[in-house]
Amino acid sequence: MLYRVIDGSELPLLVEAFLERYEVIAPVQTKKGYAFAPVDSFDQVALDYPSTVSSLKKYYLPQRETLFRFDAETNEVLDLEVEVRPRVLFGAHACDINAINCLNSVFEDARYPDPYYEAHRRSMLVVGISCTPTSECFCQLMDADEARSGYDLFLQDIGGRYLVSMNSVEAANILETACNPRVATDEDRRAFRQATRRRQESFNPAIPDIQEIPMLMDAFHSDAFWDELGERCLSCTACSAVCPTCHCFDIRDVLDPDGRIGERERVWDACTSPQFATVTGGHNFRPTGRERVRHRMYHKLNGFLATHDRNLCVGCGRCVRACKANISPIEVLRFFEKKGAEDAE
Amino acid sequence: MPNSARVVVTPLREGGPAATGSELVRANPYRPWPARITSITELTAHEKLFEFRLVDDRIREAFHHEPGQFVELSIFGVGEAPISISSSPTKSGFIELCVRRAGEFTTRLHELQCGDTVGIRGPYGRPFPIDEMRGHDVLLVAGGLGIAPLRSLINNIHDERSEFGKVTIIYGSRTPKDVMFRDQFEMWRHRKDFDLYLTVDEPDDSWDGEVGLVTKPFEHLEIVPDHTYGAVCGPPVMYKFVVQEMRNKGISYDHIYMSFERHMKCGMGKCGHCQIGHQYCCIDGPVFNYWEAKNIQGSM
Amino acid sequence: MVVVGLASCFGCQINLTNAEAHLMDILSQVDVEYWQLTSSDPMPEDFDIAVIEGAVTTKEAAETVKALRGIADTVITIGACANTGGIPGLAAEGAGYEERIAAVYGATVPAACGTMVAPSAVGEHIAVDYEVACCPVEPLDFARVLQHALYGSNVQQLTATLCGECKRNERGCFYEDGTLCLGLVTRCGCGARCPSLGRPCKGCAGLSADANLKGARAISAGCGIPTGRFEEVLRIFNHGEGGGDSTEARSEREG
Repeated sequence: MLYRVIDGSELPLLVEAFLERYEVIAPVQTKKGYAFAPVDSFDQVALDYPSTVSSLKKYYLPQRETLFRFDAETNEVLDLEVEVRPRVLFGAHACDINAINCLNSVFEDARYPDPYYEAHRRSMLVVGISCTPTSECFCQLMDADEARSGYDLFLQDIGGRYLVSMNSVEAANILETACNPRVATDEDRRAFRQATRRRQESFNPAIPDIQEIPMLMDAFHSDAFWDELGERCLSCTACSAVCPTCHCFDIRDVLDPDGRIGERERVWDACTSPQFATVTGGHNFRPTGRERVRHRMYHKLNGFLATHDRNLCVGCGRCVRACKANISPIEVLRFFEKKGAEDAE
Repeated sequence: MPNSARVVVTPLREGGPAATGSELVRANPYRPWPARITSITELTAHEKLFEFRLVDDRIREAFHHEPGQFVELSIFGVGEAPISISSSPTKSGFIELCVRRAGEFTTRLHELQCGDTVGIRGPYGRPFPIDEMRGHDVLLVAGGLGIAPLRSLINNIHDERSEFGKVTIIYGSRTPKDVMFRDQFEMWRHRKDFDLYLTVDEPDDSWDGEVGLVTKPFEHLEIVPDHTYGAVCGPPVMYKFVVQEMRNKGISYDHIYMSFERHMKCGMGKCGHCQIGHQYCCIDGPVFNYWEAKNIQGSM
Repeated sequence: MVVVGLASCFGCQINLTNAEAHLMDILSQVDVEYWQLTSSDPMPEDFDIAVIEGAVTTKEAAETVKALRGIADTVITIGACANTGGIPGLAAEGAGYEERIAAVYGATVPAACGTMVAPSAVGEHIAVDYEVACCPVEPLDFARVLQHALYGSNVQQLTATLCGECKRNERGCFYEDGTLCLGLVTRCGCGARCPSLGRPCKGCAGLSADANLKGARAISAGCGIPTGRFEEVLRIFNHGEGGGDSTEARSEREG
């Protein structure tokens, strides 16, 4: 990896340079928090945002996306050409970059690459930025506190200046044209190590670090713990709406008002939605909150690991804040901690 | 300049871009291809067998399936549904789907006539391991609509009969009126190369087959366990009991194959609807062996 | 198709006409044989689809909906009044319906009112095939339900509650400020329109069949909202014991 250093005062130049050719998406302050949204100047960017309500996945997998249009009278597929605007996602935290890496492994699966997802991804530059963990963050426990790939530039704040990892030619060219990147000195490297240590020390120690989570998930599959979570669940699907890695969708046909032409679209769906696992005829394979909450947690902390060698949870803490019923992976970790303590007695 | 990317859904028309069928399919795997209904057979009061022919030569020639796979069928405006293929790969050029009228989509499908057009994409899913089964005895157990995917396997074995050992078929229905493909099976009852057990829960006066659950014929089955493959498909409650019978007969975990029913919406391991535990029914299944099924939380 | 108005503000019917750009497109798919709001032509003897707005508040209205059901293949109710009893249904809350009538009308109820009975949802009298939710209904929601009835659709009726849609709008939460919001128990589908405009949900789309009332009450109480307040707001659109049309009652009716 190539590293360079730029001054903090050069960041606006970088953003301005991106703005010349791309739509720039960045964290902005909203009434009650932060959101990723298009910006048209550096002033709008909330660089030190703690987290956002919702994640970056909306730029890869829109809430609603047209797959094609059709003529319902002749039962034929109609022309559709979708052009995706080139974008820069500016200011992504490591957890969110790792979340996109999870989505990549699903949607760019060699057997069935998804042309819509690929179009979004191909037109995207990702600029990451270092962060300070919130009290709900546990990315370090999910091995997602560091972005090893999946970005074009990553900006590490080392006090008034940034150590920049450069991972693509396209972004490096823009950086070199807009700013005056210099070679990192020993002092820069020391500052980087200090910043990294400070960050590691600021994670919430009350969130338990559990080893062998996948094995424990299997071992406690039938535990009454899941009944308790299931009874608490409001079936609202807020968890998956804010989750950066939840990618389940529904496919449905929607007719124009005149009923002649329509479109097939995919829309976000959630395995915590009561109808999610029903089949024709009405049988529901996960009929209660217990099965649904458990299934979601399994996919996050066990299932995806088995098939993709990484957790489908990046510890971003969004669902911790979004769930009114206090259901989150942290609760699962606490449950395992409690079980461990009981066993030790 | 920055890359802008495109997704193109090109309709099928004369003089369009020259491409092979598999290139067309790969370009946009969500795009269904026009298929015409060429024949409709009423099997029971609730089930019909539809025969489809993909309209475009390139797509039709690129369509190769194996027993146990499914397609996504579209009626535009109504939606899309996964349906297992009932025809054998040994007969190409058409696709047979056996469909029960159970929901709004299938009700609309049942209203369609010969000559009507639908959309088809696929085939999808992991099939029964027919090549592995060659040279072995095969025990097939179907309950109700479970005969739909198994018929593809049964007919394939029939068409290549000499490549398989002893073939036993157990097919259970609720009543004699619910027995599908009855003519075909009636004809096979007197054949020496198929051991056929048709069984119903509620017989009527005309019924001269077995009475009872699909597990009942196991009482008089003689099986060479090391040399036998099992294939099971039926309603969710059936698997546990049938698989147990097969285990009792000594068939190995990994020689017992079963096809699971879930709602595969994308068919490509993405949308999540067909997940069983950590597996996707659409790409890891719908056919799993018993060992795999045992290792999936919540499969049975 | 016939469109019939019972006790309501007629706002849903008016709102259908607000789909100005698409109104003719929507209505071109059916023959509108009777719609009092737009024409004084009498109701025909035969029709396929009956669209009903409003709650049943009189014996005559109860007879009307039974008659409509007897003729129509498809019954679509539109808006909260027809779906849950809505605002008129408030009068039926608890005991004392007779006293309420007396307090409003005195000794003589005007003849125009008919024989008044405690207001109720259309679904309590007849089987309803499709509901268009909310107060008032969105015209394009009506178009989709009508198309569903006409052409069939495998789009499922979801019972997830509203918070998920609110989060998709990237909203904060009213409970963070200790403000009651019924999104916790209200069925989704409206896209969390009110919360996105800064108003808490009052439940006009109806209680979800999978609503976790116990959990929601605990969340509300945990945010310092007085217990009675939750019930009070819930009653605005969702009547009956336990503050709502229970899942069991609904499924019994729908058979």
